[in-house]
Amino acid sequence: MEVRINNQTVQAAEGSTIWQACRTAGIHVPSLCYLKDVSQNASCGVCVVEVKGARSLLRSCITKVTEGMEIFTDSPRAMKARKMNVELLLANHSQDCLICDRNGNCELQQLTFTLGINTRRFERTRKEHYMKDESSLSLVRDPEKCILCGRCVAVCSDLQNVKAIDFAGRGLKTRVSTFLDEGLGLVACTNCGQCALVCPTGAITEKSAVGDVRKALQDPGKVVLVQTAPAVRVGIGEAMGMPYGSLVTGQMVAGLRRLGFSKVFDTDFAADLTIVEEGNELLRRINNGGILPMITSCSPGWIKFIEHFYPEQLGHLSTCKSPQQMFGAVAKTYYAEKTGTDPRKIVVVSVMPCTAKKYEARRPEMDGAFQYWKEKMNLSEEEHFFDVDFSLTTRELARMFRETGIEFLQLPKEEFDSPLGESSGAGVIFGSTGGVMEAALRTAYELYTGKPPEGVDFYAVRGVEGIREADINLNGTIVKVAVAHTLKNAGILLDQIRNGTSPYTFIEVMTCPGGCLGGGGQPIPTNAEIREKRAASIYLEDKHKTIRKSHKNPEILSLYKEFLVEPLGEKSHHLLHTHYVERG
Amino acid sequence: METLTNTPLSGEVLDEIIEKHRGRPGMLLTTLEEVQEKNPLKYLPCETLTEVSKKMNIPYTQVYGVATFYSYFNLKPQGKHTVVVCRGTACHTKGSKALLDDVAAIVGIGRGADGSDSSYTTSDNLFTVRTVACFGQCAQSPVVEVDGVIHSNVNTQKLLKIMNRIKKEKPKK
Repeated sequence: MEVRINNQTVQAAEGSTIWQACRTAGIHVPSLCYLKDVSQNASCGVCVVEVKGARSLLRSCITKVTEGMEIFTDSPRAMKARKMNVELLLANHSQDCLICDRNGNCELQQLTFTLGINTRRFERTRKEHYMKDESSLSLVRDPEKCILCGRCVAVCSDLQNVKAIDFAGRGLKTRVSTFLDEGLGLVACTNCGQCALVCPTGAITEKSAVGDVRKALQDPGKVVLVQTAPAVRVGIGEAMGMPYGSLVTGQMVAGLRRLGFSKVFDTDFAADLTIVEEGNELLRRINNGGILPMITSCSPGWIKFIEHFYPEQLGHLSTCKSPQQMFGAVAKTYYAEKTGTDPRKIVVVSVMPCTAKKYEARRPEMDGAFQYWKEKMNLSEEEHFFDVDFSLTTRELARMFRETGIEFLQLPKEEFDSPLGESSGAGVIFGSTGGVMEAALRTAYELYTGKPPEGVDFYAVRGVEGIREADINLNGTIVKVAVAHTLKNAGILLDQIRNGTSPYTFIEVMTCPGGCLGGGGQPIPTNAEIREKRAASIYLEDKHKTIRKSHKNPEILSLYKEFLVEPLGEKSHHLLHTHYVERG
Repeated sequence: METLTNTPLSGEVLDEIIEKHRGRPGMLLTTLEEVQEKNPLKYLPCETLTEVSKKMNIPYTQVYGVATFYSYFNLKPQGKHTVVVCRGTACHTKGSKALLDDVAAIVGIGRGADGSDSSYTTSDNLFTVRTVACFGQCAQSPVVEVDGVIHSNVNTQKLLKIMNRIKKEKPKK
């Protein structure tokens, strides 16, 4: 249909909003609470436009265009109102931009600049001063920076169906809060961090471990190992100013070396290990009448979700630890033994696209290596250590690179160290939704049928639909599998199990949209288009790997030969498998 | 002095109330209203909010959001008598701030209830003092509501009379 925008006649798609029509016509209407695919609650009033014949200004993000509509995005009235609405938001916003985590990457800051706001016109109206909520191991909330746009509430509710946070109070006392205003660490929050990813300001951020990591790096008595998750190599480049989805594995390794890590290892190696264990676990369950469907257990947000909301179904979870935790346990046992390093001196740092990994690393049961050494070395409880000491997000690693003055774009490409650095393509695709399933199928197929699959690419489980399913032909036996990303979709599959209608043998669940590459610790912005670019890079890396199947990774084979003996064996049981907690 | 016990409603009473409202539009609101009404201290204790959420299968945060949105709901125990002073524009110009200070003095609260907290309850649980933005009774301003009855054209003398009367009331069994 035809509409007029700022006196220009333009074509607009039927059913589109004024905001979208303007965008198509090349006019960007500033907006704040509106976020494509996430939130459209029309609360901020920043995107207002003037429409001929309308009594008041209209919010362009929710108003649909009509034939012949005359829209003015730049009329004095619209511009004045837009500016004032931002100024009103600033009245109750803390003004410590210079020392804010999101300085330089804040939508409110950007908007204030774009709209030319150069004075503080309105006094603070809110009487309460809210304390920071630092109760969570993964996330920090600072309500003083919150502008009540509702994006975090929308992702927590609509995307994840967790509803850990919502609006409470009214008027000046309105706040985003948890039940009874308890700390985020004390309620049923999965730590997924999607709220931090969509927050336009610094009101929700990850709990930083940068200081702890720096301290460890400066300690000459420590051997600091780093492991990097698959999704970090397709995200970190963005945070260093490169195009979305840039694949920078080699530069990332070089950068980590320059930060001072003793060895730069790959979580993908541990992903391969996970697949060997998990593939064998699946076959054991199929052959011995174990609990099916079996569901993957790599995503710590998902683990906490099922523990809180479907505790009766914990038996469906694979007992395999996540790659992050398998890595930590192997590094402080196998690697320590192999290199003759005192495990108490080893500090394992992980770089993850994830905020929930911080929580996972601190789960009390994640101390397999300490338990392993306790008797052998006669360790006291005071000497207790976790398998993974610190977990950084992709964003925190970017901050460390910047602080250290590393010119990321000029770094050479370097290789991971051995023996925990080799990985197959299967380990790489762990970073994408469908990746763990595909990696598992590449191995399980061969384990089950005794011969390699015709092709290693299982295209049926790739894609971006919320739930995907496929029939896998294992030498005549048809196995039904499903892949879900976001916790809302995971819940749908769990409801099927609850109702006894689940047709599946094996299910992969990832907490975040798109899988880890869209994780809560990834660079901001992250949206559907950016996620697709990151996914393309991940599958590209897989394609170019000489080894595509986890059980063919030579370092994995050595690990079993020299240390673990066999999949699901005694050592695996203690170091690589775990149990879950009914949280209700 | 009468002592009121701080007990959340029993499971059965709660179940009964919830079943009565279940399936009706706005059931959470009407349920919370009745639950608060049945509570001897006229409030919604944390335990009750948790129970309501679980039994009605409504997320905790939503229940809390509703309970904190409406000024009708109390999250703290309420006094035996409730005094609500209107602080709307009309009442303000007719001196309601002074009335609020008077009420505070009469019941023995140090400062008026005009701060950031929306209500104050005396330590003996006899009085809760609250303010409201407007009763819609501006023609008769200033107005003060005591135990559900709106008194119009209130001045200090009239207020003292009302307060003395309810202070002398025998505690209801």
